[in-house]
Amino acid sequence: MEAAVSEPVLFVDDISKRYAGGALPVLEGVSFKQKPGEFLAIVGPSGCGKTTMLRCCASLMQPDSGSVFHQGETFRDPPSWLSIVFQDYNRSLFPWLSVRRNVAFGLRDMVASERERRVGEALRAVNLEHAADLYPWQLSGGMQQRCALARSIVVEPKLLMLDEPFASVDAQTRIDLQDMVMDICRKMSLSTLLVTHDIDEAVFMADKVVVLSTRPARVVEEITIDLPHPRDQLTTKESPEFLRLRHHVFTSVRRQAQKNAS
Amino acid sequence: MVTSSARIVSLVLQIATIASLVLVWQWAALSHPAPYLPPLEAIARGYWRLVQGDLLFVAVLPSLYRLLVGFLAAVVLGVIAGLAIGYLRALDPWVRPILEYLRFIPAVAILPAALLLLGPTDAMRIFVIAFGSIFPVLLAAIDGARRVDPTLLDVARVNGLSTVQQIVRVVMPAALPSIFAGIRIALGLALIMMVISELIAADDGIGFYILRSQRLFQTAGVYAGVLVIGTIGWALTAGLLAFEKRVLAWHRGWRGLTVASGNA
Repeated sequence: MEAAVSEPVLFVDDISKRYAGGALPVLEGVSFKQKPGEFLAIVGPSGCGKTTMLRCCASLMQPDSGSVFHQGETFRDPPSWLSIVFQDYNRSLFPWLSVRRNVAFGLRDMVASERERRVGEALRAVNLEHAADLYPWQLSGGMQQRCALARSIVVEPKLLMLDEPFASVDAQTRIDLQDMVMDICRKMSLSTLLVTHDIDEAVFMADKVVVLSTRPARVVEEITIDLPHPRDQLTTKESPEFLRLRHHVFTSVRRQAQKNAS
Repeated sequence: MVTSSARIVSLVLQIATIASLVLVWQWAALSHPAPYLPPLEAIARGYWRLVQGDLLFVAVLPSLYRLLVGFLAAVVLGVIAGLAIGYLRALDPWVRPILEYLRFIPAVAILPAALLLLGPTDAMRIFVIAFGSIFPVLLAAIDGARRVDPTLLDVARVNGLSTVQQIVRVVMPAALPSIFAGIRIALGLALIMMVISELIAADDGIGFYILRSQRLFQTAGVYAGVLVIGTIGWALTAGLLAFEKRVLAWHRGWRGLTVASGNA
């Protein structure tokens, strides 16, 4: 019996979402499954509804039809073992709290010493220990996003969702953050859902890439990325296998973008 | 950058201005005595009695007590109601018509009704002070609650916070800058209502003291009372600003960076 062993951590079942009273369909029959421990990347042309889809996947929003199952159940609010890193770090960190207190925000029903220990661990994992008593506005963009990441992992989630988390940082920082996220997800055995417009990033980080069509979005293709771990920014990205997969994903997305243009 | 010599010059000028006003008054009072122009010692004596002497307990403290109770009631009720109304959209149709009408009633017009309902009691005066000062706080809290960044609320939901927890831990801190702006306005209004309520119907307090001095033609007492009210207003406002500065230190830094660097 498969039972809980192979129960997908996330099962998106034919969800649709329309805005403006039905006049603006954004999602039209999106379906995919995510296995526990899998790193799933979702790519698609700009404006195809990726953020709407992530909000439905996180149960922040209910789809108009279809269901989202988290470990077999549906929820009206995000389940406690789900964490999200949002794109706009300067809007997702609480400006009145220090880094330390931002990170500790989700920790409740815990003795102070345990809370301090967990916060310290999370800050170490993202290399922000030295900035623990600073305020978000005193940090660089990369540091702010690391703070948001620490806040997400301190609650020891099972599923981590990231909504274009590196879109607002510079290229160098992006590389460092990618490595950091992959490292953390492997060490904590997290299931990870990454929504991104960056195809290189999707292929580099994920075990599987889901390509969405243009609006109204549906799943066009699921591409398994069986590149070996650990992945290196230099060597992996030069390997023929990476290039082949990248080409595959790129063509798939481009085909969708061209459909939009025509 | 203001150099220290520029600052000294500024200070000297300020002292000189006040000193010359004082001297002009004193000269006028002594050379052209008139009931409306008492000499400064008389005013100073009255001021001293109110601030340090026998009148402290009869005039100043009762007024301060009513002012603080009424004002704090307005702040607490205004913040709680404002945050709830601003955050819970469901309350809107129930509350809006009443609010949009009541807020335009000048608090002074409430006085006769309050007097009828509550009599010339401390409860009446405190009520009048609270009614007169609640609206800036209430409206500022509603506005501040409505303007909370939805991303912050998403973060709260993802972290499993209940509605009440969201209001206390996210909406309120986010709305604090707006709320403090409302509180600053409310303080001025509370002061006005305090004086008016004592002019209309009281048997103690500064307003009452001023009125009684006026009826007894003790002009020095009238001016002294006015100066004391000014002192109280100044001191409370300074205290409020200092408190606000501490509580909202994060906001200045956040705004400073956001505005300066041109980020959204």
